[in-house]
Amino acid sequence: MEERAFKLSILCCNYTNLSEREDFFEVPVSLEIKRYPCSGKIEITDMLRALREGAKGVMVAGCMPGTCHNGRGSERAEKRVLGARKILEEIGLEPERISMFFVNRLDGEDFINKVKAFYREILNFELKGRERK
Amino acid sequence: MIIAERRPIPEILRNIEDYQKILVLGCRGCVAICSAGGDREVSIVAEAIRLARTLQGKPIEVLEDTFIRQCDPEYLEPLKDYQGKVEAVVSLACGVGVNLIADLYPEIRVYPGVDTSFYGANLSLGEWVEKCRGCGDCIIDRTAGLCPIARCAKNLLNGPCGGSQGGRCEVRKDMPCIWHEIVERLKARGELERLLEIWEPKDWRSAGGDGLRVRVREDLRLNGGK
Repeated sequence: MEERAFKLSILCCNYTNLSEREDFFEVPVSLEIKRYPCSGKIEITDMLRALREGAKGVMVAGCMPGTCHNGRGSERAEKRVLGARKILEEIGLEPERISMFFVNRLDGEDFINKVKAFYREILNFELKGRERK
Repeated sequence: MIIAERRPIPEILRNIEDYQKILVLGCRGCVAICSAGGDREVSIVAEAIRLARTLQGKPIEVLEDTFIRQCDPEYLEPLKDYQGKVEAVVSLACGVGVNLIADLYPEIRVYPGVDTSFYGANLSLGEWVEKCRGCGDCIIDRTAGLCPIARCAKNLLNGPCGGSQGGRCEVRKDMPCIWHEIVERLKARGELERLLEIWEPKDWRSAGGDGLRVRVREDLRLNGGK
């Protein structure tokens, strides 16, 4: 049960996927899902704020390149993730705590699998952190 | 425009480690255009500071504001409203803005949030290249508009150094040899003989060799400049 103690934040384009928290019951963490009109609208500030507000990892989810409702929003989001990661690196956090995921539009299974994979990655960071302590 | 680059967050943090309440102050001039110090960057730097300090167990209150410019006294006046309300200001303006705040508001502790890099052009999204060194004594009327002071790694004034190959600079292979370009362009215009003119030695005083550079235009000053 201890693994449930941490929170993951999903910043997601509204058009990419409509899955809600109950769809992720298999992922044993506290999930916060924030939706945006487009992943290109997700700012570096939003990603950093999610970490400051307690999330251990921030998943930015957008449509597969070429399928963005607004043209290239998810590619823009990917670039912003790079900017956020640079800041994490500078302040001594694992950059991978903020990650970009391209998700097949309205494919719930694809989305849930990517959340699970991200959860496992962040869980590893958390476990390593506890070992160091 | 003046090109600047965000300083690494640890350097910003080092300057403000003793403070609990600060202002991150942006500028909507050049640094906003080069995505180093406008509204968006203020928000990013402020949040990065909050996150880093929260992780350190020393939360900090960070206010955010962006002025139209920081290089004009009149646009800096709203800074008075922050006096006594914040312990320090991290300015994302170029060095001009930081210096002017330090001059006009000596009681405010101001720290740079960006490194001021050069005068450059925005060639494409996310790419800026130096075009001018601000030496105060332009010679580009003789060099087809291409500046060898800013764009030659050796700042040569009398033609290519001899080390360039295939039109590329020997110091920076990713850069063109600007003297190669000057010669090619003048040749194409049928003006190559312009390079045969003997130039007066360049006056480097206007480049800063004579101390602080000041320019006064009496035709613009009213009431003694007040």
